[in-house]
Amino acid sequence: MPAAVKEKSKNTAQSPKVRKSKFQADLAPSEDSIVRALKAELQMTSNTDFLSDALALFRWAVSERKRGHIIVSESSTGERKVLVFPRLERVAPEVALPHVDIHWNDTELESLAELASGQPAQPTKALVRAMRH
Amino acid sequence: MAVTIRRLEEFDDVQNFDCGDEPLNNYLKRHAWTNQQKRSIGVTHVAIEESAPRAVLGYFTLATSSVPRDRLPKKYVRGLPPYDLPLVLLARLAVDSRFTGKELGNVLITEAFKITLRVADEVGCRCIVTDAYRDWIGWYAKYGFIPIEGASKDGPQKMFLDVRTIRDALKGGIEQG
Repeated sequence: MPAAVKEKSKNTAQSPKVRKSKFQADLAPSEDSIVRALKAELQMTSNTDFLSDALALFRWAVSERKRGHIIVSESSTGERKVLVFPRLERVAPEVALPHVDIHWNDTELESLAELASGQPAQPTKALVRAMRH
Repeated sequence: MAVTIRRLEEFDDVQNFDCGDEPLNNYLKRHAWTNQQKRSIGVTHVAIEESAPRAVLGYFTLATSSVPRDRLPKKYVRGLPPYDLPLVLLARLAVDSRFTGKELGNVLITEAFKITLRVADEVGCRCIVTDAYRDWIGWYAKYGFIPIEGASKDGPQKMFLDVRTIRDALKGGIEQG
């Protein structure tokens, strides 16, 4: 095998090329128009740049919501609009769930303690199915 | 039917909601928003359809609670961490009668389980507890809720589901009846 070729394969082994993922999406005509309009407004030519920027924005929104922050736009007059985006709410911390007192009688407390201190029950079929969704 | 679950919002249409149970209707119409926003008593999540994003088709309300360790019988506390027992309360769950039979209850309770797991991950909780109407004990039992002994025969039945069981279900679980 010629030396030059040997060298080339050595280099390839040392610094493997980063694999780029291909991304294909089926967009409705209205969504396609929105993408085109946004690209024009933002002076973007490539779908890759568009997706990359959209990803950065989405990633930021998710990280903010994860920290319990809300995402707000504020006009020059101080009018505020809160972004309500159902999927983002899935990552929002639920530490905001309020704390309430429950009335327990002694028998209920004994039963609760027995259940909570024992081994957990196996999930039922319905629960497994529900959690798969 | 494309259903989304999200937090109750101020201008959601709750006035047309009818699940056939007046206390549950009344809670959504009169108290859910105030309790969520002003009194911090419970957080309500609603099911809405994308074609009518303000009309509430079903809802559930969650809160957290805890049982002081010193109230638990001593013979059981060894198996429990040395703190108060934190739990999530599934305070209410209801589906509008016009949408029964469309698996909405399943969608709602699944979301309640997912939120419970997030609470468990973020602030800790050992179980989810609900007060089930007698007619609905079987429905909750289907998901693995176990009746807590000691309830009065006429009132609602407190039921228990271990967070670890929900976690196991998320992993695929060992399917049983």
